[in-house]
Amino acid sequence: MADASTGVLRPRINWQSLTTLAVLGIVGFLVLLPMVFLVEESLNVGDPMAFPPVEFGIANFVSILEEDLKTVVNTLVIAVMATVMAILIGFTLAWILTRTNVPGRDKLERLMELPYYMTPLVGALAWAVIAGPKSGFINQIWKAVGGTGDIADIYTHFGIAWVMALFEGTVAFVMISASMKSMDPALEESARVMGASKLRTTLTVTLPLVMPGVLGATLFVFAEMLGSFAAALVLGIPGRIYVITTAIWDSTLAYPPDYGRASAMGLSLFVVMFGMLTFYRRVIARGSFTTISGKAFRPRPMDMGRLAWVLFSICALYVALAVVFPIAALLMTSLQRFATVILGQAQWTLANYQVALSLGPVRTALLNSIMLGLGVATVGVVIMALLVWIIYRSQMRGRGAIEYLVMFPQAVPRLVFGLALLWAWLNMPVGLYGTLWLLALAYFTVMLPLGVRTLAGVVLQIDKSLEECARVCGASWGYQMRTVTLPLLKPGILAAWLLIFMACVRELGVSAFLMGPNAKVIAPSIVNAFATSGTELTAAMALIQTFTVIVALIILFRVARGMTKELQ
Amino acid sequence: MSTTRIEVQDLVVRYGDQVAVNGVSFTVGRGEHLTLLGPSGCGKTTTLRAVAGLEHPSGGSIRIDGQTMYDSAQRKNVQTEQRGVSMVFQSYAVWPHMSVFDNVAYGLRVRKLGAAAIKENVERALDLVQMRHLAERGASKLSGGQQQRVALARAIAFSPTVVLFDEPLSNLDAKLRAEMRVELRELQRRLGITSVYVTHDQEEALAISDRVIVMNVGVIEQIGTPEEIYNKPRSRFVADFVGSANLIKGKPAGEGLFAVDGGPTLKVTAPHRPHGKESEVAVRTAYIDLEPRPGDNHVPGKVRQRLFHGDFVQYVIDSPVGALIVRRPPVNLLGEGAEVTLSFSPEHCVLLEA
Repeated sequence: MADASTGVLRPRINWQSLTTLAVLGIVGFLVLLPMVFLVEESLNVGDPMAFPPVEFGIANFVSILEEDLKTVVNTLVIAVMATVMAILIGFTLAWILTRTNVPGRDKLERLMELPYYMTPLVGALAWAVIAGPKSGFINQIWKAVGGTGDIADIYTHFGIAWVMALFEGTVAFVMISASMKSMDPALEESARVMGASKLRTTLTVTLPLVMPGVLGATLFVFAEMLGSFAAALVLGIPGRIYVITTAIWDSTLAYPPDYGRASAMGLSLFVVMFGMLTFYRRVIARGSFTTISGKAFRPRPMDMGRLAWVLFSICALYVALAVVFPIAALLMTSLQRFATVILGQAQWTLANYQVALSLGPVRTALLNSIMLGLGVATVGVVIMALLVWIIYRSQMRGRGAIEYLVMFPQAVPRLVFGLALLWAWLNMPVGLYGTLWLLALAYFTVMLPLGVRTLAGVVLQIDKSLEECARVCGASWGYQMRTVTLPLLKPGILAAWLLIFMACVRELGVSAFLMGPNAKVIAPSIVNAFATSGTELTAAMALIQTFTVIVALIILFRVARGMTKELQ
Repeated sequence: MSTTRIEVQDLVVRYGDQVAVNGVSFTVGRGEHLTLLGPSGCGKTTTLRAVAGLEHPSGGSIRIDGQTMYDSAQRKNVQTEQRGVSMVFQSYAVWPHMSVFDNVAYGLRVRKLGAAAIKENVERALDLVQMRHLAERGASKLSGGQQQRVALARAIAFSPTVVLFDEPLSNLDAKLRAEMRVELRELQRRLGITSVYVTHDQEEALAISDRVIVMNVGVIEQIGTPEEIYNKPRSRFVADFVGSANLIKGKPAGEGLFAVDGGPTLKVTAPHRPHGKESEVAVRTAYIDLEPRPGDNHVPGKVRQRLFHGDFVQYVIDSPVGALIVRRPPVNLLGEGAEVTLSFSPEHCVLLEA
């Protein structure tokens, strides 16, 4: 049966180490090289455009503390406010949705993810429409009922933090509810059996067990908020409130662009965020061991009686503030000639959509974004699936290093990575800068963690013996991949594809730096439109982008449902 | 033609610094049902997976039907799919994206059989496990027991000569497990398959095997028929792990005699040649009688505790050789505190290797 010659281990070229080296080389080139360029440029104290730099020093770093101290303070104040709000919201919602019998729990839990998919950019635009000074809807209503002056102004520290918390704080909810869900209900039940009241149980058992999760979420969210860009860009610049990300952005726009200063700020931000994330991982590794036991529990919810409807209103309020009002405001604005909330004065029109879809640059930008999404998702998923297989299923040496490299972009603020790529490709003797190809390459690089994590989740769910059994039945590696592995991976691959597609269509941080006059994409174009043309057109564009993402999202949920059915 | 199907020689498997299997050798005859028995982590599953080609050993050799499958000296390692063995996995590994029929047909399709032959073989295999009526059912909609049967049908559908079983019954509930045990033994006899079976359940191992290998920490403790393993345990580990036994401490006192520490001298048997350093004898709990019989060892005792199990009664009895556990049929029950004479034959007093 077995052909004797096929099994002989011949001395031969070691394909495995060659493959590993090649993969390491390529991923390293994409991920690490831009960072090297960034470090070099941050130390450039001579002509900021000189490449390679001729004078080195740390003046760029020193000047952050001297000239940009106000920016640093702004960043900290806004990040702290946003984190506190995000954690309060996240904790409240997580507790309501995992531990109480609030009506419509499963549906509400689904809705909680929506603000994240709306993106902070769209959220910031929407809140500019709702609570902008003078023409904002709240102020319009206030004046219509006889008030004087403005009662709402979103172009403030608090306004920026508010939008960040609403649209980027979703992760706090996800993390805290995960730690609440993974807690064995028997831990609480035994406290009750010993005679502790509900309140006492919550204070002495529930809270201490959930604390590490909350602390972890706080660190994580704070790091995210430090690197947040969109809300500060839309809401901060009109009121001249600069945070570190918008300051980086601003110094590359100056003439001549000060890449040295931008790099120094970017690198400092990266180091701080990297430190926080490392600390976060420590906290998670050390603290939450008591509650995480591998399987997810569905704790018996506490009966809240009539209070359940109060809790329901809290959830509904959140959904209203983060989804319903923003979408409604954008919708109203986009359908009018001049945005007003006083319906008697409204002049309804579809002209904004017409303009958005026919205006050359805008239409091109949208098409470019969709094309990039399709291309990067399709090619990317294939490569990422291969990477996942190498990292999690093969016995190759060096797969740990590959995993580390692949996950690295996660630790770099998107905007800083964009800056690094910009500087790297400006100075590389390849004519990629200003083309869609560079954007595609950049998207692929920053999407690596997202894609690989999604695919890995599916791969790790598939019992290894399913593959082994195929081999024992006599299937070759290729036949096994075709008949067993890939069909089982299909839903996961589809989900990863859609996630990457969505992330590409809404990408801002990297695109803002790498977009060229002949390679426009939608998110930065929306920002430009907000700065240069009317709110009405911007709202139409934002809604078109959101609509594209929502369509992808609906397909994603369908796939996810099919997948859970199939794997049970 | 030789009667040996599988021959494993000095097999060593390492995981990094850890040695999971440390020099294991055994043979499996044609049509024989051999069981590897041991606690978790003893290397039994690793040995089985090495035979299937799913683990890469670091030393020794494996031959199936005279063909070398692995040999460290020749640097030869035949790929799993070319070894021609079949396997039933602990998790069943029934592919959730295929129907029952497609699962069972897999090995036949790999071997490029015609549609008619595939249908015939699949139906025969499904008949054997009484699953034919569910052939079109999606595999993800099956119960645990049904998945077990599908996995079994799939493993035998392409008429392999060797089938490996990796704890196939451990995920079933006790009742179903007992039923499947009977069916498996029946099927194995009928098809004349050579099989290697891995389990940590000693009862299962004794019930369905022609021969049992007891393993511990990567090495073989004893090889023998179920009766030999039960009646003549070689080591303390085997006596303790297989069945239930009383261990009595003392030292050899001449040919066939054993002096219990601070107690009487017993007549014992030594399956191996004793060298004087032995310190324990094992007496199965089922072999101790409560009525004196001529020729036996006799020890007075007093019932300390009685546990009624239904199928048997377990007594703990204090005696000059220590507290002994005795299992008796549930008739003529003795009360706690009753005085008895314990009686066990020298044949059942087994001197353990030191």
